Amino acid sequence: MRKLVPITLALLGASALAETPPATIDVSKLPAQARMIDEVVVPVPSEIFGVLDKMGKPRWEEVLRSGKMSMKPMGGAEQTALILGTVIAEGFIAVEAESAEEVKRIGRGVLALSEAIGVKKAVQRRSQSIVEAADAKDWNRVRRELDGAMVDVRDAMTELRSEELSQLVSLGGWLRGTEALTEVVGKSYSKDAAELLHQPVLLKFFDRRISAMAAKRQTSLVQKVKQGLSDIRPLMGHADGDEISEKTVREIGALAGELIKAIGAKGE
Amino acid sequence: MNYVGITNSTPVKRYLLLVFSVFWAAGACMANIDDALTFALEAADPYVKEGFTVREDYWGGDLPVKSTKAVVHQLFKGNEYWFWMGTDQKTAKISVHIYDSEGRLAEVETWQKAHMAAARIVPKKTGSYYLIVEVEKSPQERTYWSLAYGFR
Repeated sequence: MRKLVPITLALLGASALAETPPATIDVSKLPAQARMIDEVVVPVPSEIFGVLDKMGKPRWEEVLRSGKMSMKPMGGAEQTALILGTVIAEGFIAVEAESAEEVKRIGRGVLALSEAIGVKKAVQRRSQSIVEAADAKDWNRVRRELDGAMVDVRDAMTELRSEELSQLVSLGGWLRGTEALTEVVGKSYSKDAAELLHQPVLLKFFDRRISAMAAKRQTSLVQKVKQGLSDIRPLMGHADGDEISEKTVREIGALAGELIKAIGAKGE
Repeated sequence: MNYVGITNSTPVKRYLLLVFSVFWAAGACMANIDDALTFALEAADPYVKEGFTVREDYWGGDLPVKSTKAVVHQLFKGNEYWFWMGTDQKTAKISVHIYDSEGRLAEVETWQKAHMAAARIVPKKTGSYYLIVEVEKSPQERTYWSLAYGFR
């Protein structure tokens, strides 16, 4: 993978993609007209959880932690943004567990956390929709509303010139989703399920974004998360298709779990 | 707009006009990308009925004719994905193609229509994939585009 960065597309000349696309491209050379878009769309947890559902019947209620996790603003805006991300991810787990009460509790938690970072108005409608859809046990709609809540938070933060906080929301969500994934995979290990942890694009993206953050955002918690990502990165496999062992799944889970604990801890 | 007024205006007025122009241009740009997104989502509509979940997030921008953009994206083996591209230009011809991390064409199906193009992939491996978007033909110097995706 390293040779692919910076990603290049040499064979994409002026007419290379017209009508019939080339069967292969050289991703090690980049003409100016095929520059990479820096924005990465972070997958929602349900995109990964859905694959696990196809492989078996995970006991999602055992993965659900919403009863134990903090849903209150804590520390500075950076910590609250990270907590908000973990809570939204927990919402996806509650949907998998089909727990209407937990989804509703999470919907209210999302609202309280959003208020603390100044984006309550943007997610108020989503929060209400999450609660209504949970009452109706319309799980697909809850998934859509949770995804939308992430986007609404990001857009509102962009308007407030707080894009960095929105990246922390995404990061918090990714960490909790990853922790949950390791828990499910660890309980019933298979090579295919473990392969879902191979996410180099996202690790590089988060690392890049944290490194580019303003000094005031580089709190000790954010630095701890950055270090955690660096520790996780070599465990997730170098090339697509690399096998991730059961032991490695546990190690990734432990690292993600430590970071989730730090995110939810007072005094961080 | 009366441009003569700019030359006779005070620095404050000029600044306000500049700010207004920047916001107007930014607003127009977003409107075009939003229009492009509307077509991308219209392309997605039949697939929603087939069980695809469409993400709320999307990519967008503008491109000169015969030039490409590359988007790196994480895909998961076990899912099936559609990528839908839209443009606000009816007579433009756009395309989207999907390559794996080794640079091999990985899509299993594509199509192009007025305002739209799409590509489908069933990833053989979990990992990074490259989405290549192109404006093949367009009456405009730069053409706005938007790319959405869905999975099942």
